[in-house]
Amino acid sequence: MRFFRQHATSSLSTRLLISVSVLLLFFFGATIAVLDTAFREAGEQAQEDILDGQLMALLAAAEPNIYGELEMPVDLHEVRFSNLDSGLYGELLDDSDEPVWRSRSSLGLQVPYGESPALGTHQFSRVELEDGTPLMALSLAVEWELSDGELRPYTFNVAESLDSFNAQLARFRRQLFGWFAAVALIMLFSISLLMRGVLRPLRKIEEEISDIESGKRQELSDGYPTELTGVARNMNVLVGSERARSERYRNTLDNLAHSLKTPLAAIRAVLGEQQPSDGSNRIEAQIDRMNDIVRYQLRKPATYASESIAVVAVDIDSDLHRLVDGLRKVYKEKNPDITLDVVPGTKFRGDSGDFLELAGNLLDNACKWCASRVRLVIRPLAGNGAGSGAMQMQVCDDGPGIPEDVAEQLLQRGMRLDETAPGHGIGLAVVRDIAANYGGDISIDTSEWGGASITVTVNP
Amino acid sequence: MRLLVIEDDETLRESLCNQLKNEGFGIEQAADGKEGLYFALEYPVDLAIIDLGLPEIPGLDIIREVREKGKTYPILILTARDRWQDKVDGLSAGADDYVVKPFHYEEVSARVNALLRRSGGWASSTLAAGPVVLDTSRQELKVNDEAIELTSYEYRIIEHLMIRAGEVISKSELTDRLYDQDFERDSNVIEVFIGRLRKKMDPDNQYQPIETLRGRGYRFALERNQES
Repeated sequence: MRFFRQHATSSLSTRLLISVSVLLLFFFGATIAVLDTAFREAGEQAQEDILDGQLMALLAAAEPNIYGELEMPVDLHEVRFSNLDSGLYGELLDDSDEPVWRSRSSLGLQVPYGESPALGTHQFSRVELEDGTPLMALSLAVEWELSDGELRPYTFNVAESLDSFNAQLARFRRQLFGWFAAVALIMLFSISLLMRGVLRPLRKIEEEISDIESGKRQELSDGYPTELTGVARNMNVLVGSERARSERYRNTLDNLAHSLKTPLAAIRAVLGEQQPSDGSNRIEAQIDRMNDIVRYQLRKPATYASESIAVVAVDIDSDLHRLVDGLRKVYKEKNPDITLDVVPGTKFRGDSGDFLELAGNLLDNACKWCASRVRLVIRPLAGNGAGSGAMQMQVCDDGPGIPEDVAEQLLQRGMRLDETAPGHGIGLAVVRDIAANYGGDISIDTSEWGGASITVTVNP
Repeated sequence: MRLLVIEDDETLRESLCNQLKNEGFGIEQAADGKEGLYFALEYPVDLAIIDLGLPEIPGLDIIREVREKGKTYPILILTARDRWQDKVDGLSAGADDYVVKPFHYEEVSARVNALLRRSGGWASSTLAAGPVVLDTSRQELKVNDEAIELTSYEYRIIEHLMIRAGEVISKSELTDRLYDQDFERDSNVIEVFIGRLRKKMDPDNQYQPIETLRGRGYRFALERNQES
């Protein structure tokens, strides 16, 4: 099981193939073992029967001679006893274990027939010739009643070479393995084909989820098999509720900001109506402080995790054009020359509001500070494809620029460069936080026109 | 000029309206979206200030409806939601500018004046007609590059006339612009200011910038310069 966990968990089909292979190996192995044993035993039984038959033939051929001793005829019915190297050997021993007769086939060979069995019993044994040829031997110890009525013990030995039997067994085994290997291969192949079909919905669900993640798709499609409809439905519910949750979260924060700021506005308006006094200045300062806190704290968390499943790729172009149209209205009198340089197809993988917040704050600051020119450059980050969502946004202006020592302070929370352009610092701090939330950062430089150049990267 | 203020917070609305009245604007006010939309469509309005978070009908819908009905007067959004999403939504719906709460009254006043000037056809804050140049951001009047000293009343009158250069402005509208509503309307104070302005701007009676149309009002008569 550890093997599965380490290597195969990545793919269901690999897992299944390995399981099936192990099972096949086990079952086929057992089958092969059973078949092999059965075949071998049957073969051995047949071999023993043959040997038994030969022994009986020898027994039948033995005749007492004129001296009353047991003797074998010169020519036996079985010619293999007479042919050299025929593989069939025989021997007749008397009571002192001296050979009375030896078959001609064993001429020049020392055939080890094994121990003599007890009187009246026969015994099979496996032996080997000196050259290693395996033999099956059968010994029978008998008492022969001679013509004078005397009983004399004799031992009949026969042995037959197992070469042909072994060759037959080997051929059988070769065929057995061959067939089973072929069957196993065919089975594995058809199982993997079947699995491809069976797992297709899973592959589809995987593709669709990755589409959702990359923002190409809003939810999983219909038409999954019964086992997966529940998963697909729950997935859609999850994605939907995730979206709804962040939407609700943001609305709650917006409503909170709204209900805090309107009274602040009312306080300020009432103060403004009255004659300015020392007290009202101090209250003004507190209103500013509260406003900064509300703006920064209640806006910051509205940016939500970029790795969330609910993330959709933002259509940068339409958002940017809406934003720039809006800014052109707001800065109509200054009428800055706003140039957009966006690499086509660049995607922002995240919340549309966050994208607008990044671009809006940077462009608004640039329009506020520029003399006449503002340029926005958006391109995918090198090394990542246009669809990955990693991108760089650079906003330049030809205004006074931001001195280096101030730049660092400006990125601190709520720092302001110039009180006459309120919110400059908060805008940048919000941009910094959003960028950080998307795994990116922000840097402040001098533009080619001598003004500020602010570069933000996001890398979700 | 008549402004419509739609804002549901009573204190804020009244305070804002009072200060706008002090600047001489005629004010209609509405406390919710329904009433606001009615005023916005049915009343003669020169500019509307609309809060986005309104009861009954959201500010955004009012702006869309007003634009759909073909009204072109400028709209200034008041919003507490200062996410760019909301600002961009408001501006695309047809608003012309926004002020984020809590605002300083001066900010609202500056935006309102700029929008009115723009709706009068002036693209920049410097209004130039013939030899007369009015820099509304510095509140400075020059004739033939010579600065002319003005009192704040005189400035308001010439600004109002120049913003709507070519149009006839009634005496009572000018009076509204100068004083609170309870001012004695029959007095000849406007004639006095106009007389002083003519003397300061055109001592030799050479350009005749302000024309009197008997029984109807006054008109700034010089042609606007092309570039503005």
